Amino acid sequence: METFRHIIDLISVFVLPSVIVGFPLYGLYKRVPVYEEFVEGAKEGFKVAVTIIPYLVAILFAIGMFRASGALDWLIEGTRPMLAAIGVPPEVIPMWIVRPLTGSGSAAIVVDMIARYGEDSLVVKMAATMFGSTETTFYVIAVYFGAVNVKKTRHAVPAGLIADIFAMFLAVYVVRLLFG
Amino acid sequence: MLNYIWAGLIISSLVFALASDGRDLARDVYRNGTPLTVTIHFPDRYQPEARRQSVEVRVDVGTFRQLYATDASLAPSFSGTLIQTQEGRQLQFAKDVSLPEPLSTIRSFTSKRDNDLRGVVDLRGAAGDTLIASAVLFAPVRFVKMSAITVAAFDFAETAVTIALGLIGALALWLGLLRIAEKAGLIHLIVKLVQPIIRPLFPEIPKDHPALGMIVLNLSANVLGLGNAATPLGIKAMEELQTLNPVKDTATNSMVMLLAMNTASVQIVPPVLLVAIMGLQVNQLFFSIFIVTVCSLVVAIVAARLLGRLKGYRESDPTMQQSPPATSGAD
Repeated sequence: METFRHIIDLISVFVLPSVIVGFPLYGLYKRVPVYEEFVEGAKEGFKVAVTIIPYLVAILFAIGMFRASGALDWLIEGTRPMLAAIGVPPEVIPMWIVRPLTGSGSAAIVVDMIARYGEDSLVVKMAATMFGSTETTFYVIAVYFGAVNVKKTRHAVPAGLIADIFAMFLAVYVVRLLFG
Repeated sequence: MLNYIWAGLIISSLVFALASDGRDLARDVYRNGTPLTVTIHFPDRYQPEARRQSVEVRVDVGTFRQLYATDASLAPSFSGTLIQTQEGRQLQFAKDVSLPEPLSTIRSFTSKRDNDLRGVVDLRGAAGDTLIASAVLFAPVRFVKMSAITVAAFDFAETAVTIALGLIGALALWLGLLRIAEKAGLIHLIVKLVQPIIRPLFPEIPKDHPALGMIVLNLSANVLGLGNAATPLGIKAMEELQTLNPVKDTATNSMVMLLAMNTASVQIVPPVLLVAIMGLQVNQLFFSIFIVTVCSLVVAIVAARLLGRLKGYRESDPTMQQSPPATSGAD
């Protein structure tokens, strides 16, 4: 396991420099005017970022308001008995609710939980596993669909949330199995 | 669905803010109009004509608890300043001192910029005294949550722009590199290589289409935990998928699949943020994160595929709206 981890670490260190140098190098070999083409492609960067803005504003301000109003805390409290009944420790429930909504918010929860329960506690391991194995679903939707101006997202939200909910459950059981 | 979630978030914020402010008003949590009794200690005697004097504010815990009906504890004394203004004497607690509720809310509400608690003070003593019993009256606090949601809305709107603009550099770099790779035929090479594995997940994409190459690059960047590469590559993959989309404002099944795979975030390397928070402890979690992320990827793929077959979502499928119903099985 350790050596595997080291190999992956090594690859992730070398892959970016080799791509950044390798692509233009291969381009040169294929007689592509690399500088001209790079600039031509890079031009799009600004446009794409600006296209994303309205989508990201829409999602983030709604989530920010929701959190500031105290509704998020209420949601956490409200779902607690239900989730506790199916074996989810009450300490990790904030993570459950917050993870798909905000990345910075869920990172803050991990920090808070470490301070409160200690790094070695089971609940911190569960929360960190949840953090590491899922993404901030609503942010990803805003950025990826925003970049191409797609407004009707169809089944993207339910599919993303189903995967999130599943990951949250699995994290609880896997951590319990491995460390419990 | 996003329409309802979005509206739900905003409406419930308002409802909750109103309810919680109403409750605070009914219980008079901040004791608006009722002064807090304190003892002010003047290290170098009280001088009525001094414009500013450094003082020490002593608050009796019992008085504090009784007034605000709380069982929070607070420091026995705070440093502060006594200021003479035209409206009278004002007591200013030192900046950023740690205060218990509800005093900290009163402070953040009434002194947003300076973060110091202030109140109009009524001194009951004569010049020359070092200890004077006084009453401090804070500015009334009402509708805390209502103003909080307003502030949050504007703050997060600003954050969103910061995040989006922060992507420009990485986006430009990657889009430039990808353009070279496309012109050099490298993407085509990648497509040829991975097509047999990846195309079953994206049956709508025609054979040898560059979108397949971008999707693979995006997923590989995810696997290696290269966050700042994964997003630009994913966006580029979306753009390629958009070229195949007949209805530009509606997501195709392939787009939903790519998105679901990204939200499940297959990563073998733990995210940088988690490493920053937990340090070496993350190594222990390597295996659990790996299992969960791989399983949730499978679930995401299955969910995206099965949901796409539901009647409502099949009818909104942009590729179905243009062409008449396909005669042969699409899969």
